Amino acid sequence: MKKIIPLLALGFLTGCTSIIQTGDRIERGLTPPDAVNYATTRPEGGFTPQINDNRFGNKIELIAARKSKTDGGYARVQWDLRNGSYIGQTANISFEWLGSDGSVTESQPNWITTPLEPGALTTVTATALKSTSVECRLRILSR
Amino acid sequence: MNKLFLLACAALIVGCDTPAAYKDPNGRDLVVSLDKVNIQDFATAGSLMLQSMISSPAFSKGAPVLQLGMITNDTANNFDTSLLLSKLTVPLVNSGRVTLLESDAIASAARAASGSSANVPKAEYVLKGKILEDRANAGSIRQNSFIFQLTLVEVKRGVAVWTEEKVVTKQGSKNSIGF
Repeated sequence: MKKIIPLLALGFLTGCTSIIQTGDRIERGLTPPDAVNYATTRPEGGFTPQINDNRFGNKIELIAARKSKTDGGYARVQWDLRNGSYIGQTANISFEWLGSDGSVTESQPNWITTPLEPGALTTVTATALKSTSVECRLRILSR
Repeated sequence: MNKLFLLACAALIVGCDTPAAYKDPNGRDLVVSLDKVNIQDFATAGSLMLQSMISSPAFSKGAPVLQLGMITNDTANNFDTSLLLSKLTVPLVNSGRVTLLESDAIASAARAASGSSANVPKAEYVLKGKILEDRANAGSIRQNSFIFQLTLVEVKRGVAVWTEEKVVTKQGSKNSIGF
């Protein structure tokens, strides 16, 4: 019996492709799923973050949000994100556009997966399709 | 003790069965296949392409008349390429950013029947593309990249006014669920 358990444990480990993946699975099993975090641009510039997952801040940093207009006059926001941790992270991003009254005018609901090396900076550009869209709400979760 | 251990093992094995359940097609718990393009891959490539395309000069004013050209599937998988195109055309048409020219037989017949009427729109741009695949492996680790290429051609001049390539790469030893 004493021999079976270590063998079983070894079997579990060798069945996985790497120790890191095993660690990741254990972490996923032991911790609640990552909550979705938000950041919404403000009319006066900058953005308001809404962090729902305390672990998020140790992984991805929201650096800046730059608002501009396309040649056709549609709103565009560039979000700068940085992996502030010492290990690779994956930023999963989607976004919505809001009208001047705060209503959702359009959305891109699917998650876009962006792997980030430690310290890596990436820029996510969101361009509105409708002229009524003025503010951008970024949805982000890290993994 | 041995019986108890066997029972625990049996319980673990039985516990591994997952009954079918409805999932959000835009959620994070979707199946990730190594050897095929998943629905979320089309969504990712399509939304990235859309964001790039609407920044092109062709979309700077008005609603250009767009016709869908050939999208070649050059992968080992069999799928309908409209899974990709719909990710672009649905938001563009519904927001009024393009006038989409139908190119099926009925639409062609209707245009022919109307003669040379000025009300019949003519395609200003044609969207064409290709989906490719690149496979590699190291030991038991497999890597599969799906390359989505789209080009917007201005009909009048016959030149490409926008072109983009997006790559979705998946790596692992077996299919999994979620990210």
